[in-house]
Amino acid sequence: MTLLLLLLLQSPHARLEGRVPAAALPPLDSLIGQAVAESLPTEPLVQKALEGGAKGIPVPRLVNGVRHGLVQLRDARAIVSRATPARASLDGDVAAVAAALARGLDPGLIERLLSADSEPPGPVLHAAADLVAHRFPADSAADLLRTAQQQGLHGTRLLDVAVAASHELQREGGRTPTEALARVRAMLPNIPVATPPHPRTVTRRAGRGS
Amino acid sequence: MVAQVLAGDGEAFGIIIRRYEPGLLRFATRMLGSPDAAADAVAESLVRAYRHLAQCRDPQHLKSWLYRITGNRCRSHIGRRHMSDVALDDAPPLADPVDTWAVLERGEQVALVERALAALQPEKREAFVLKHVEGLSYEEMADVTGARIPTLKMRVHRAREALLLALKELV
Amino acid sequence: MTAIDPRVQEALDGERDPTTLPAELREAYARLTAAATLLRDPPATSVADRVMAQIRREAPATRPPRRSNWLLRPVTFRLRPVWTLAVAAAVAAVVFLPFRESAIPGAEEGVAQFVGHFPGARSVEVVGSFNDWQRGALALRDEDHDGIWHGAVVLPAGQHEYMFVVDGERWVADPLAGRYVDDGFGAGQQNSLLIVRP
Repeated sequence: MTLLLLLLLQSPHARLEGRVPAAALPPLDSLIGQAVAESLPTEPLVQKALEGGAKGIPVPRLVNGVRHGLVQLRDARAIVSRATPARASLDGDVAAVAAALARGLDPGLIERLLSADSEPPGPVLHAAADLVAHRFPADSAADLLRTAQQQGLHGTRLLDVAVAASHELQREGGRTPTEALARVRAMLPNIPVATPPHPRTVTRRAGRGS
Repeated sequence: MVAQVLAGDGEAFGIIIRRYEPGLLRFATRMLGSPDAAADAVAESLVRAYRHLAQCRDPQHLKSWLYRITGNRCRSHIGRRHMSDVALDDAPPLADPVDTWAVLERGEQVALVERALAALQPEKREAFVLKHVEGLSYEEMADVTGARIPTLKMRVHRAREALLLALKELV
Repeated sequence: MTAIDPRVQEALDGERDPTTLPAELREAYARLTAAATLLRDPPATSVADRVMAQIRREAPATRPPRRSNWLLRPVTFRLRPVWTLAVAAAVAAVVFLPFRESAIPGAEEGVAQFVGHFPGARSVEVVGSFNDWQRGALALRDEDHDGIWHGAVVLPAGQHEYMFVVDGERWVADPLAGRYVDDGFGAGQQNSLLIVRP
């Protein structure tokens, strides 16, 4: 944690120097400068630039990747401004919505999930993205999460709702997405907290020639 | 001066503040209609600019960059409240409407113009203030707002029309 | 809204000499320039002292960290290990690495456990947003030499993207992550996504 704090204390430019090709620094500085001027969070852009440098991404694609991140942050802020205007200046909310857009969540769905909830949006958006990634219909997923919130589940407990739905889908005999969601809805608010199996169990399974 | 600050001379930023603060405060006051809200917005903007000064690679664009940060701060403030709630606390009471413009005291004229400006949509208000109060060129305004020059000209033209109409209705 | 004569607009844009405006148009020009002049009154306040005080408080060694402007903003959490969304076979024996050996997570931190099956690999490391995508910061171990590489680290609660780097050169998404996101560099590569619960 101390290392992370020390890293965050440096300016973006200092953090990128030596980590990205020199030719990429001016356009990256410009993009990050735009984010600063527009009061958008800059950390997602710095992270994307560092990632590109570490992966050895060619300069044009690296810069485009960061530019794409800036566009997503702008789109994210527009969504937050429409759905929850009072939170439009909160970097965490904008970054969380940008992350949801990056996961392919529909902007309209994001806005719907935001507008009825005054909590930090990260957990509900990830839960929705998890459900959509498991082929649950987006509207049904949003309805389930909204019901879960109304029944007192908040924050990372919403991720447990998504895990429960995923498990219902994989039950022996198979369930349709509609059946799986109905089962989970019937369980609310008593959704089990998702926990990993005991490490020793996994080691044994992995050791059987997998 | 930017180079000095980036080299670690934080006190040099005070010179940058003194150079640009009056214009930024005036701009923010015209955008927000409240000197207190403007002071908050400009202070936040200058601190943010200090933290990210390295991102302003070209000192020639420092002014535009500072106005851009301030403009965005003002838009955030506007988004969180209604302009109709803005109190023109320091302005004197409006004169009797039968008075013509010419016989109004200067303070009364300022109050009328401020009220007319406050009635404009934020985009038009910003365009008028940047062009006619802060004296920016359309190129500088494009740097500040991110909008294209033809778009900015249209906004300024519409702002002038709206302001003129508002002034006619108030006097 | 009543349109202003284009000649007045041109004069106000500095594209026409205002003295050439017909008499009936001069009032509009004068009214608008007068309004602008009135709005140029200098402000009575200054924020210089306030800003400089803030800057002095934020001397480089003590500047406040940027809290959670990328990570998910945590709400009230209890200390729990992270899990992945995929099938339950996601976690191996927990080994605390030298990176945070025997570390006890704080109130807004959790334990992230990584497992990968890479038989024959000479080295496996985890590179991600939690270590600024630095190579060499988080190496996994395979003490049994059975091809199961594992490790754990304390991380801030919230979202993290990462990949495994095998033998120093092969970038691989974690097949057990359960969540993935396109890395945005145009080649369709996906990062693994981890959500740490404190």
